[in-house]
Amino acid sequence: MKLQHLIVIFIIIILPISLVLTSYVQNQVQTLQLQISYDTKLTNATYDALKAFQLNTVNSSTSDLANSKIRDIEAAVNTFFNSVATNFNMVGYNQDILKDYVPAIVFTMYDGYYIYSPFENKLTSDDYTTSSTYKNGEIVTSLKPYIFYSCRYVTSDIDVVITYSLDNYITVQGTINGDAVYKYGYLLDNIEGDYNPDTNSNSIRYRGIPIQSETLTEYIDVDSNGNYISTNYTKVNGVKYYLDKGSDASSTSDDRWYSRINDQVHYQGINYKTNNDSAIRYYDEAKDFTAWVKTNLGDLRVSDAVFENGQATKQFENEDGTTVIQSLAQREQWGNQRIFESDNNTSIEDPDSNFNQHRLQVIRYSIEKNLSIAIANYNTYDGGNSNNFLMPELQEDEWEQILNNVSIISFLQGLNIGGKVYNGYSIVTNTKTEEVVNNDSIYIVTSEGQYHRATDTDLVGNNNITRSIF
Amino acid sequence: MGDTLITVIVIILAAVLLFIFPLMTMSDRTDDISQLTVETAVTEFVDDIRTTGKLTMDKYSKLVETLATTGNSYDVEMQLQVLDENPGKKTTQAESTKIGENVYYTMYTSQILDTINPSSGTTKTLALKEGDMFSVSVRNSNTTLSQQLKSFLYSVTGNDAYVIAAEHGGIVTANGSGN
Repeated sequence: MKLQHLIVIFIIIILPISLVLTSYVQNQVQTLQLQISYDTKLTNATYDALKAFQLNTVNSSTSDLANSKIRDIEAAVNTFFNSVATNFNMVGYNQDILKDYVPAIVFTMYDGYYIYSPFENKLTSDDYTTSSTYKNGEIVTSLKPYIFYSCRYVTSDIDVVITYSLDNYITVQGTINGDAVYKYGYLLDNIEGDYNPDTNSNSIRYRGIPIQSETLTEYIDVDSNGNYISTNYTKVNGVKYYLDKGSDASSTSDDRWYSRINDQVHYQGINYKTNNDSAIRYYDEAKDFTAWVKTNLGDLRVSDAVFENGQATKQFENEDGTTVIQSLAQREQWGNQRIFESDNNTSIEDPDSNFNQHRLQVIRYSIEKNLSIAIANYNTYDGGNSNNFLMPELQEDEWEQILNNVSIISFLQGLNIGGKVYNGYSIVTNTKTEEVVNNDSIYIVTSEGQYHRATDTDLVGNNNITRSIF
Repeated sequence: MGDTLITVIVIILAAVLLFIFPLMTMSDRTDDISQLTVETAVTEFVDDIRTTGKLTMDKYSKLVETLATTGNSYDVEMQLQVLDENPGKKTTQAESTKIGENVYYTMYTSQILDTINPSSGTTKTLALKEGDMFSVSVRNSNTTLSQQLKSFLYSVTGNDAYVIAAEHGGIVTANGSGN
């Protein structure tokens, strides 16, 4: 055979292979590009929802009420769907159509979370009237009831549910030694001293630093010489009240408090305190509560955690078909440390303390479990017209975001992106929120006017704050 | 005489078709795959920073490592537009496009790297805030095999000759300070 023939045969073989390969790879590139752009669009839509939530809560004085919060979240959900419709070029499609593509949206809050997902409406036929919005058994896509970050613990004399939050605030409900308890407060170590508001004796120290009251002043007016007058004020329920010292600045008899609304002065009949002792009270109450927890629940261990129904163990099937009986802590591999005591000389507010480790475990377990239930139900409710959606496994750093901030997690699936079906999720954290004040946002002001973060590791020693004069 | 000439031409043609053509197609595919990797890496990097508000050397090194696995070298250009310390948005509803406020100043790659470069063992974090804008652009700085072959056949020259490139950017959605 001549060389020319060889070449011709070679080209006949190689050319189609090369063409097919080229178009295949190009297809893959396109699919991936589409997937990336969808990820970004989903993040943007989630951010829009978050922005809507911020707008509604930050400017609303009633946003801490449950009803109002649900309304705000539903508004955020609407924004999310509008944004999805716009971003994904599905303008005109309303929420009813788009919700088929959204298995769940999670709104994590300070001490619990909402899940927006389809569920079966439960309304017994006796209660059903013609004016009822939904029938019994109807599939409704809406907000499910609020779920707290809580865990139940049972020992021989303790049966309590502890509700955790994004910081060190906990609520304890249940019975201890047969007595019903309902206690809540902040857990903080390293507080010494006492505060008596009646005699005004204060020796509260946090990490060795004396905590003092403060007098709030603001410059709102000038005197005849053009100098600013420092005016006392106080803030009650979001409204600032200013002190009018009257004609005699030295006496308190003609003091009057007023607020300014729409540039008008409204005098109040009440006398407010000029001295703000909330910082002292915060530490004083935290000290008492922490002492109570350590006395009553000091021996509580992670292994005392039980399933919601109060059962200590459950049967699980291994992958090889054998049945094992495990407790909640074993099942989740939580360990057996004492929750409120430190084994390695850490204080409770330390991120590595037993309490904080366990708190994050409980929050994560709760979200993971309820979210996977919601997503499993979504597959049952969608009438089998989409492929089986599995809950994506969130990365560790993504959990970090969720566990430390108020955030929104959204899922989107079932969109065709050529070659495969899009399955994506997005997490956007809310750092501008009224829901929670992070520990890191608590500052100690010294008399020099310097701000120190209360959680700084070098707060004490290193001549950092000790230099300041109180 | 004529036969010899044809034989020479055929041999040259054979060499081109049997070796260079397959080599070119394969190196083109390699570049496509690299393009995929680079695009994914850049998007992940930018989206991570946008949603956490934190830029660290760890994240940057991870990006550079992922890029290096493609076997090429890259120019990574970062651009951070920082919303001025005194933004006009005193409340979330106020007019954000008011003239004279909401000024952005820009940090570029070298300034960003100076800020996050760990000194004496302590890691440094560049904390971004909501409203900042961050974008990354990556393009290959070496000549890939397919570029070499192409310039051998038909010359492509100039400084901007790159085949693998990716860009991604967006607004930062979270405040990076604190937790």
